[in-house]
Amino acid sequence: MWNRLPGVWICVAFAIASVLFALLATNAYYTSLVVWVLTNAVLASALRFVLQIGELNIATAAFFGIGAYTTAITAVLLGWPFWLTLLLAPLVAGALSALFGWVTLRTKGPYFLLVSFAVTEVVRLVYTQTNAIGGNSGLVGMFPPMAIEAYYPALAVALLAATLFALYGVERSDLGRLFKAIENNDAIPRSVGLNVVFLKVLCVVIAGSAVGLAGGLHAYANNVIAPSDFTFFVAILALAYVKIGGEGHALGPVLGAALLTLVGQWVAGISAWENIFYGAVIVVTLLVFPGGLVGLAARARGLVTRSAR
Amino acid sequence: MNAPVILRAENLERRFGGLTAVSGFSFELREGEILGLIGPNGAGKSTTFNLISGFLRPSGGRLFVKGRDVTGASAKTISRLGLVRTFQHDSLLSEMSVVDNILIGTYHQRRAHEKRMEKVREVASMTGLADHLQTTAGNLPHGLQRMLSIAIALAAEPQILCLDEPLTGLQGAEVSTALELFEKLRTTHGLSILLVEHNMRAVMRACDRVIVLNYGRLLAEGPPETVSRDEAVIEAYLGRGR
Repeated sequence: MWNRLPGVWICVAFAIASVLFALLATNAYYTSLVVWVLTNAVLASALRFVLQIGELNIATAAFFGIGAYTTAITAVLLGWPFWLTLLLAPLVAGALSALFGWVTLRTKGPYFLLVSFAVTEVVRLVYTQTNAIGGNSGLVGMFPPMAIEAYYPALAVALLAATLFALYGVERSDLGRLFKAIENNDAIPRSVGLNVVFLKVLCVVIAGSAVGLAGGLHAYANNVIAPSDFTFFVAILALAYVKIGGEGHALGPVLGAALLTLVGQWVAGISAWENIFYGAVIVVTLLVFPGGLVGLAARARGLVTRSAR
Repeated sequence: MNAPVILRAENLERRFGGLTAVSGFSFELREGEILGLIGPNGAGKSTTFNLISGFLRPSGGRLFVKGRDVTGASAKTISRLGLVRTFQHDSLLSEMSVVDNILIGTYHQRRAHEKRMEKVREVASMTGLADHLQTTAGNLPHGLQRMLSIAIALAAEPQILCLDEPLTGLQGAEVSTALELFEKLRTTHGLSILLVEHNMRAVMRACDRVIVLNYGRLLAEGPPETVSRDEAVIEAYLGRGR
């Protein structure tokens, strides 16, 4: 088992270091890379968050996009203040997640997966067909206010790290225990007077709000968004981060996202081979160490403690 | 027995397409009573359980818990009124620890974590699980797994406990322990128990009254010793002699 408290403090230290790095580094490429790593970490963690109730939610990609579009529309088209546009991203994504979950979570497993996939593609098609929000070319010109611009990467990193800690906090709470119970055998919580559908919707709403915020932050970090940024492939990549990092612990998706995003910067140069590379990494991971990086770490720890005895 | 009726089914009916699983089934459970529900395989016992616990909606008939009409009510509503059921199969959270399993039963109420843990310890000691709190439920010996499924239900503080074949696969001594627990739940906690069970000897020992279901209909009703000598019941179980 993970030694919990020191582990959390190490993560807090890492988060503070990332914020400081984003604040102090002068190379814009590196600061935006840190933001991008943490954005992917939130996407992967949110995907894993819904995996707690046993569902693979491809619509994670859709709610990331809805957060980004909410911020972009209110900022560029309506000219609303920065903080309000940022606050609306998780709220709108969370509210639409509730509607989505309430309608779709009566299905399970492969059915839910397909519905969440379909929703993601429909939402993307709606963007492309709506000229008022830029159609296929999307929206341009989301900039943080001048006063904040220099600190924006640090702000984004801080908010994304806080989101990761919040997701972890819920996982460790009573609510997290209920989510796991639903995944394990949903008849049991049902039999003792719990509203399982409501709890499942709540799980999807929490994850949806988290990626919604990440989407809003992404809109300001990237300054431009387009429908093609929010295809189902975003969720597939997030799944790759989860699988490679390991599902067994909240750190898994963060490690997976960090590793693959950084490696991805390198393989981006090999264009067509990029997707083949990702696919190969997933297959090899699942074959060689199915528990991902955290599973590998836990196994190494087990070996060490056993040989120490 | 003249204790007030706590659970009443009136002409309960459930059809699955063309198949009628339960039909015209009426019975009453009284406060503090242990009522046995028996019948051959496929008689409709599990369907009846699903109907009274809100896991299935009846196609007809009425259901009353503590005098309140709960026909068609959700599992949540019925459970919160005090009727909690267990399951014949998959009756626990196999990947979670014993303590987490029992904790799940306490979440129908808002209260502090320490209060929940108090309840967990109380229920665990009653069901013989006090020394196994950190064990993963799926790794428990079979007998303790059966007790754990009852413990989860007890943590929800029911007034009516519906047990679906709780004794399946238990050894002699374990059966006695379980029956003593049922008796204790009835006498010291005032629970009413509906017991579906295949172990006839145990049913005869534990139950005040027995109802027999066959082809979804009530076949016989009465004290165990009467029912066990009932011609129709013997025929339903053993077939007609030639």
